[in-house]
Amino acid sequence: MTSPAQRPPLFRSGDRMIAGVCSGLAAHLGWPVKYLRIGMALATLAGGAGFVFYAWLWVLVPTADEGARRAARPPASPIAPAVSSPSPAANGFARAGGPPSARRPAPWFTGGRFQYGKELLLGAGLLFVAGILVARQLGVDLPLGTLIPAAAILGGAAIAWMQLDETRRAGLVDKTKADQAGGWVRLGAGLALVVAGVLVMVSGSGSWEQTWLALLASVAVLGGVALVLLPWGLKFWKDLETERAGRVRETERAEIAAHLHDSVLQTLALIQRRAGSEQDVVRLARAQERELRGWLYRDQAADSGHLADRIKAVAAEVEDTHGQVVDVVSVGDTAMSERHEALVQAAREAMLNAARHGGGAVSVYLESSDTGSEIFVKDRGPGFDPEAVPKDRLGVRESIVGRMKRHGGTAVISSGPSGTEVRLSLPAAAAGQDERNGEGRP
Amino acid sequence: MNDAGTARDAGTRRSVRVVVVDDHAIFRSGLKADLDSRIDVVGEAGSVDDAIRVIAEQRPEVVLLDVHLPGGLGGGGREVISKSAQLLGSTSFLALSVSDAAEDVVAVIRAGARGYVTKTISGAEISDAVIRVADGDAVFSPRLAGFVLDAFGTSPAEIADDELDRLSARELEVMRLIARGYSYKEVAKELFISIKTVETHVSAVLRKLQLSSRHELTKWAAERRLL
Repeated sequence: MTSPAQRPPLFRSGDRMIAGVCSGLAAHLGWPVKYLRIGMALATLAGGAGFVFYAWLWVLVPTADEGARRAARPPASPIAPAVSSPSPAANGFARAGGPPSARRPAPWFTGGRFQYGKELLLGAGLLFVAGILVARQLGVDLPLGTLIPAAAILGGAAIAWMQLDETRRAGLVDKTKADQAGGWVRLGAGLALVVAGVLVMVSGSGSWEQTWLALLASVAVLGGVALVLLPWGLKFWKDLETERAGRVRETERAEIAAHLHDSVLQTLALIQRRAGSEQDVVRLARAQERELRGWLYRDQAADSGHLADRIKAVAAEVEDTHGQVVDVVSVGDTAMSERHEALVQAAREAMLNAARHGGGAVSVYLESSDTGSEIFVKDRGPGFDPEAVPKDRLGVRESIVGRMKRHGGTAVISSGPSGTEVRLSLPAAAAGQDERNGEGRP
Repeated sequence: MNDAGTARDAGTRRSVRVVVVDDHAIFRSGLKADLDSRIDVVGEAGSVDDAIRVIAEQRPEVVLLDVHLPGGLGGGGREVISKSAQLLGSTSFLALSVSDAAEDVVAVIRAGARGYVTKTISGAEISDAVIRVADGDAVFSPRLAGFVLDAFGTSPAEIADDELDRLSARELEVMRLIARGYSYKEVAKELFISIKTVETHVSAVLRKLQLSSRHELTKWAAERRLL
């Protein structure tokens, strides 16, 4: 995002004591965090300047996450893949997931650093109270009538404002309802504290009776105002919701339009230009179909980098290079490992052979379970005799059979007049023989 | 999947009466041209409401039904089947789709379709599939077989908690072979059984797919927002 000479933008950092202002500022200025924090604390002692500055930054500076969202770039543009690149899986749909999860800030109250900070704050508050008590003991006359309400207002406001912090809100969405209820309780407690503090301050006397009356009156007034404003408030809220829903729809539509433009229209243009070559047209159409399918039906939850995805990517690559349809059906999935990479490479070799010599569509079936993974690659070509393949031909012997053996798996090739099938089986690590190996023997 | 029907039925039966339901006129005419002489297209429809009307009028043996259709309550092919349910005894539905999504496919199957084929298969293959459905058999594409294996699990029945909830070892074998791209004839040869037996197994699997309340199936369906 920045060239080295530039300063990183000012964001509130996820590595925080209170709200990440100091560490964000430190990153922005390139100064050590410790000094900034000490400086901020010293400035607070100087008539509260540091406190005000901190609060001001807290309110106005976005977190790194919000900043990233604000600066969200337009979607990457996958161009017609058949002509540009052999692996469209790589250039397509990375944007679907939103900002990478690694950048999510730690939830407000569970972040390790902050728990520490909370205790610090509590300790400071207790020390402050203790100081006041000691001072009273020593006979210093402190204006308690002003101090306590002021402390109440400050505390209440802090509690309520924490609710409004964006990161906290994001955290709330993720958590359970119970926590949201907790949020409301905190908001209510904050409000009550502030109201009580203001009342006591305004009434100026510590008289309980008077305060009680004033409290009742003000609650009644507040209730009346709320009653009057409620319909407007609701309407405003509803408008806001509709507008937001509309915006979401609009964004979705724009994304679809962008995708169709970048991929489908480009492909259609290419097809028109190459209408003469049947093979090119078929290849373009098939590649576009595959991309669109991936975009429309992709399981959002599925992690890429798993076996099924790798096999599909390899099949797509074979399809592009040989212009032969390769259909992949997969059942179950498993995480990749070095051994699975060998399985993928062996399967790729089998698909290449099938596309080269088979003629017609190639069927690939992948089944993964706890006991292991099996891949079947079938074509409908004239078939060949595996024994008759010359010893020096590396394709089948080395890339498929040998590779599978080296990684503790097996490869069986059966060929007949109605086609050839390669069966690759890789038992789960150290599970010994795959007992389902004998299934469907010829 | 392109041989059993031809071999068995060639010349022995009259043509099958078919209604084609798809919202793209180009696709309908292309399909009509592709279907061979054993198929007699007696009606066409392009929306849910048209389809229900034409099917009720024509009483075809087989309906070639697109999964995604405009009109009606927005239920597409599934809605057509459920609203023509009183005809299910005499009319069979063969789902036809460009969609790979499990929810689309399994939804029409559970509504009562006898099979599912993708729109990319050849005219001869579609014709065979129509004949097979007209004979009361089920038509499984490799992908549908894959969905079934996904939903029912790949280990054979051990504890028969409910007969509908698991596939037998034989049915699993058949499903696996179909998923691997074998035709019914090849499956029969591979397992040393007759094509008729293969068809019986496939029909049994179809019934289980339609009727099972298997926990995994409902969970699987719910995850994909089927229910």
